[in-house]
Amino acid sequence: MPFLSRNNKTPLGIYIHVPFCRSKCQYCDFYSVTCKEDRVLDGYLDAVCSHIQEAGMLAPGYLVDTVYFGGGTPSFFGAEGLAAILSVVRKSFDVAPSAEITFEANPDSVSDRLLRRLRSEGFNRVSLGVQCDDDVILKKIGRPHNYEQAVNAVKRIRKAGFRNLSVDLMYGLPGQSLQDWEKTLKNVLALSPEHISCYGLKVEEGTPLYAYQQFYNLADDDTQADMYLSAVEILQSFGYRQYEISNFCRRGNISRHNLKYWTGGEYLGFGPDASSDFAGRRFAIVRDLQDYINGIREGGQVLREVQEVPNRERAGEYLMMRLRLSSGLDPKEYESKFLLPFGPLESVLNRFREQKLAQKTYDGRWHLTPEGFLLSNTIISDLLVIQEKCKPLSGKRR
Amino acid sequence: MTDLSKIRNFSIIAHIDHGKSTLADRLLEECDAVDRRQMEQQMLDSMELERERGITIKATAVQLTYTADDGDTYALNLIDTPGHVDFNYEVSRSLAACEGAVLVVDASQGVEAQTLANTYLAIDAGLEVLPVINKIDLPSARPKEVKAEVEDIIGIPAEDSPEISAKNGINIHSVLEMIVKDVPAPVGDRSAPLQALIFDSQYDSYRGVIVYVRIKQGTVCAGQEIKMMATGAAYRVVEVGTMSPMGLIPKDALGAGEVGYITASIKTVADTQVGDTITTAENPATEALPGYRPVQPMVYSGVYPADGAKYQDLREALEKLKLNDASMSYELESSIALGFGFRCGFLGLLHMEIIQERLEREYNLDLITTAPNVVYRITKNDGQVLMVDNPLDYPDPMEIQLAEEPFVKISLIAPQEYVGNMMDLATSRRGEFKDMVYLDANRVELHYEMPLNEIIYDFFDALKSRTRGYGSLDYELIGYRPSRLVKLDILLNGDVVDALSFILFADNAYPRARKICEKLKENIPRAQFEIPVQAAIGGKIIARETIKALRKDVLAKCYGGDITRKKKLLEKQKEGKKRMRTFGTVSVPSEAFMAVLKLDED
Repeated sequence: MPFLSRNNKTPLGIYIHVPFCRSKCQYCDFYSVTCKEDRVLDGYLDAVCSHIQEAGMLAPGYLVDTVYFGGGTPSFFGAEGLAAILSVVRKSFDVAPSAEITFEANPDSVSDRLLRRLRSEGFNRVSLGVQCDDDVILKKIGRPHNYEQAVNAVKRIRKAGFRNLSVDLMYGLPGQSLQDWEKTLKNVLALSPEHISCYGLKVEEGTPLYAYQQFYNLADDDTQADMYLSAVEILQSFGYRQYEISNFCRRGNISRHNLKYWTGGEYLGFGPDASSDFAGRRFAIVRDLQDYINGIREGGQVLREVQEVPNRERAGEYLMMRLRLSSGLDPKEYESKFLLPFGPLESVLNRFREQKLAQKTYDGRWHLTPEGFLLSNTIISDLLVIQEKCKPLSGKRR
Repeated sequence: MTDLSKIRNFSIIAHIDHGKSTLADRLLEECDAVDRRQMEQQMLDSMELERERGITIKATAVQLTYTADDGDTYALNLIDTPGHVDFNYEVSRSLAACEGAVLVVDASQGVEAQTLANTYLAIDAGLEVLPVINKIDLPSARPKEVKAEVEDIIGIPAEDSPEISAKNGINIHSVLEMIVKDVPAPVGDRSAPLQALIFDSQYDSYRGVIVYVRIKQGTVCAGQEIKMMATGAAYRVVEVGTMSPMGLIPKDALGAGEVGYITASIKTVADTQVGDTITTAENPATEALPGYRPVQPMVYSGVYPADGAKYQDLREALEKLKLNDASMSYELESSIALGFGFRCGFLGLLHMEIIQERLEREYNLDLITTAPNVVYRITKNDGQVLMVDNPLDYPDPMEIQLAEEPFVKISLIAPQEYVGNMMDLATSRRGEFKDMVYLDANRVELHYEMPLNEIIYDFFDALKSRTRGYGSLDYELIGYRPSRLVKLDILLNGDVVDALSFILFADNAYPRARKICEKLKENIPRAQFEIPVQAAIGGKIIARETIKALRKDVLAKCYGGDITRKKKLLEKQKEGKKRMRTFGTVSVPSEAFMAVLKLDED
């Protein structure tokens, strides 16, 4: 993991939630609004900037090594706004020169002008929502673009000088067959992005898709499993290493920002519905744009669910998050960090190893296989049952 | 103490749904025993479960004060009785404390199986039976014919019986007058040695056991030393009094003829057996009152805590429940699959369901119940005779010389248009036709003999649905008969799960085995590997289903905002797993055990 140390400061990730979209996609349950009135956009910009300034004062011992603009659709919000927020981040925090600075974009809102502007502001990574190569499916799921726009967007992104491009894809979409999915992968591989995320469609409660799911021809679990394993195999053969359940990259271009979520790094989130894990506490921001704007403007409460996470719970999170990664977990690190025995967990993992769901590396680390990733909830909850019964290691063993 | 001549002790008996509890409510209201504003429907059915199901499970007693037309004030002790066929035993307990019984008969449905059965119980107990025709407000009411039915079928005069509507409060007054006039006043000598019959008891965490008694002879008051004649346990009386719907009312003393309660800081549940006689240490009675014939459970099943660690809690809950329900029995058993639990005996399937629900609600337990089992009589080749109430004890078929199962005589009553349906049902349950009697122009009573095993599952429900609710059932045990029995074992992933084994009639084995395998397939969550579900007799597999392997259980996205949610999800999954029992490599949720019990519901 890159660990930039400027005077031994602690690394920190910054996440900015930009909650604006041209239209809502059928499957999406992230918080966003489709309104684009200047009054609201300006209100958001003011709020998020003062919020960042305020927080910057509380984090003098931190060095920001990743900044991530997610959404919503940050590209739809526009270059000026994103640039303004980034400059406030730079003013308020100590941002490392080599920081990874990502923005999410949709193919219909990446003009050459926007890309050039953001590149010159120091953005160095783009995460492009492509989803699939079939225009009929794209339309069904409510995407505001077609595949040709996506191909053109990639060309423009390259032309603007971005050397780190990630493409988001989805499988298990309405009417999508295994063959369709493999074709999408091969077409997208021809665009040679540095990074690919593949997400199985999950029908979330409260989304339009949830209400109408019986009218869509959705893949069952077994088909989704086949699609997943096929993606792992195809991407592998094209030189993309799987480093997380849904994430693949070439030549070490992992998402440094996202890695913080999986390795217990600290991060601060700004904007409605953004989450933070900072100074031992986990908290989230209200899931309403107007409440957020008002709260910041009037100095009111914008946080919800502030939780002190005790060490014992962190031990559970460690299993939960580390087993998402191909690098897996390190028993020695686990024992010394949480003072809990690893032995009981290892016997569970051994059982999964026999079923070819987990593997132990030569240096003693444990990680799941692609088949194991597919069953990770089952595996992790089995481990949690056992972990709950573990007594802390006695002082002697330290 | 109330003068003997001013006391009336009575029960209300009826077929289920004929309006017994509603009449009890009206009597309470009429006597202003309860504030009308506080009146909850079915006051006497105080158990939450009783009210929900609209049935009476347990006897309850209450004292009413009534000023009759003759100007005198009477103490009326009403002892409620359950109406379901499972609870005959509770009925006979209540009746022993009374001199009279009000027989409620539905004006449109007329005499039903339980009307007969309960009336005979009352007559056997030497009670005056007073018919009341209820629900006369219904358009289909035919009070004249029903009165004639009561006289013809039961043989008690009904010409002058009150015609009432308990629901609408019509003619309730005449019922009270009838009770005062026709129920005999109790007799007894209040200076004689004490003889108090325990007809019910209840555990209260503050006062200890509250014993409900009918004083037959003598007098009891606070401070006296009392003795339980059967158990020999001795206590000092703390308080005596009477029961009102609003709670217990302490009195100075209770004398012969009265119904009331005694508390004596009794902590040991087993010391106060229902049916025992209480006397005083100072001036003891020479002999105990005739107790009750000890009840024989008909149906047995294993009851286990879903969480093995809760075994002690279950034991304590059963101890307390037994105090409230003497008809249940339990003893320790252990299963390879489920660990420690209890083999419990019940009066019938409804009784079993109710006990289970009470354990879960009142004692906050999660239970796994195994398939109900009657008591089989097995004679081995060496002449040894075994009474088998547990499939685990079923001997190897090679060692069995004779297998017998208990048979019952059942009586079915319904309008004649349902005779065909009832016959089909009885025949499909191995019923042997005995006779058919026309009760009147329209209604028919059928008699069959059939194995008890065939009626314990869902017979009553099936009867109700095939007769549009008109059919009624009563049964009595008539002894053991030879039968062809087999023990069916269930295997999950190749291992026998002992808790799922049961004994059944050989010809039923195939269809039942198939159904069980299907049900288990529906109720056992998919695992990472394929799970064969098999049913076998001896070593021979007779049915099989396969639970497909689970291939996908994953959260595709997990970024900053998802972590808390994912944690909750996994936490829930973890808790679910803790509630499952693991057999070899297969996890089985407690719902799967229940599903196997409710095999015939669809």
